Parts: sequence; C-alpha cells; structure tokens
Amino acid sequence: MLEPVLGNGTIEKILFSLEAYGQAYPKGLSRTFNISVNGIQQQLARLENGGVVVSAMVGRTRLYKFNPRYSFLKELRVLIKKAMEFLPEKEIQEYYSKRTRPRKKGKPL
Amino acid sequence: MKISWHKINIKQLAAIISSHLKKNGIETVLVSGACVSVYSDNQYMSYDIDLITGSSIKKIIPVLEELGFKNTGGRLFENPQCKFLIDFPAPPVSIGNEPVSKFNNLETRFGIICLLTPTDCVKDRLAAYFFWDDRQALDHAVMVAKRNRIYLQKIGKWAEKQGEIEKYEFFRKKVSIG
Repeated sequence: MLEPVLGNGTIEKILFSLEAYGQAYPKGLSRTFNISVNGIQQQLARLENGGVVVSAMVGRTRLYKFNPRYSFLKELRVLIKKAMEFLPEKEIQEYYSKRTRPRKKGKPL
Repeated sequence: MKISWHKINIKQLAAIISSHLKKNGIETVLVSGACVSVYSDNQYMSYDIDLITGSSIKKIIPVLEELGFKNTGGRLFENPQCKFLIDFPAPPVSIGNEPVSKFNNLETRFGIICLLTPTDCVKDRLAAYFFWDDRQALDHAVMVAKRNRIYLQKIGKWAEKQGEIEKYEFFRKKVSIG
C-alpha cells in the first residue's frame, strides 16, 4: 500500500498498528506480524529518530505512540487512514481489530 | 582555549558546540530543555543539548569528534568527560505543526547560541504540557515566562488554536502569581 513511499513493509505495519490501537510495543508487533523483534525495533528506532513516534518505559516494556509534536502528524495520519481503507477485510480483522477494551485478570481471553 | 569538559555548564557547552558546528558550515538551533536552562539561569538543569540542523549526521560526526564527542548511534553524541548529551532531533524547527522561523542569537564569551525566543520556548514547553499533561514542562514554561520578556497574547492565541485554552489559563494564573 504505502510501501513504495515508506521504504518498507514493516514501517507500514507499525504505522497502521499505531493508527488502529494508539500505541504499540516491539514484542507485540513482532508476534502479530511474525517479524523478528530486532527488525521491528530497527524500524521503530528509525521512526523515533525522525520524530514520528515517541516512546516511554511502562514497567519493563517500551511503549511507542505517535509523537503529537511531529510537524506533519496530521497529514501523515490522513494518509495512513486513507491507505487503511484499502486493506482487505481479512487483514483488518486479523491485524487491526484486536480487542482493546479491558479484561479482568483471571478471565479466559 | 582549553576546555574542562567536566566543569562546563550547559550554556557554555551549547555556545562551544554551536560555534564549532557553525565554523564548519553547520547551522543549528537550540531547542527544548536546554533553552529552559539558558532562560532560567539554570533554575532548571537540563542534561540534554538538543540542536536542530538541516545538515546530515554524517557531516556532523567528524566535526564533533574534534571536540571529543562520539556518535553513540542514531542522532546522539557523548563525551565521556562531559555530563551533557548532545542530540540532534529531526528537523524542522516547529512547535506542534507550526514552523518556527525567528530565533534569538545569544552572545556569550564562548560563542553565539542560536535558540528559540523566550516566547517560543514557553510555547514549546506548553506543547509538552498540553500533549502529555507533563507538569514539569508546565513548571518550565512558568519559569521562563517569569524571568523573560514574553508575548503572552501570542501564546494565548496559539493555545486557543491548539484547543487548550483551559490549560493556558492555568499557566497564565501561575505566571501572574508572585
């Protein structure tokens, strides 16, 4: 979809995930897309160095979000949203429609 | 001039680094916490020097190596004798989605620092307060606003555009107290 513009498919998946869920962490992205943690971390570092995302430690996990101070965030998100409209339904269901509402500890998933 | 890297303060270091880079054709603008340190006379002590430049990191590496600062990956530079970290956040210089084009040139005996104006420094800190509810950033904005000539009306208009008039009012009250 946006791969030719963004340079690679991993970045696209990361940006789509951030748009869908608001936040993401390397291990979770790695599991979802079956891409090595290292591969994900490299692309997240690229985005962080470019000011597109910011990160903070939450417990022992580094959580990434869009950087609200990124100069072109509004425009970038419009582009991402538009591109996501073209994703096949199956892909949306599989990767970008996971449960995000709370789930009490002890209840089966 | 012999530099004692372990004794240097952030303003002196910013001036040395900015001047050295400029001498080598690399223009920079000092932003973020270091501006707060400069405008608050170190009431807040930042340990990061954030410089925005249009030049590439490749071009910066050999220039900063002359001062003993090595690239530690990404856009960060460290000198083991110096407690401050130098970072080159990605350009452009902006506050939110607004570009910044007017800067302040501060002359020191170590060289000239090109940095955000006090008004833009306050906006920059308020942006962090607006976006992340960061109370420390709010305190920084108040610190700079109390010690420097700023244009409150401009900041108010900008805050209104950001949809953050309530938080701006809270800031304004803190500035007007004592």
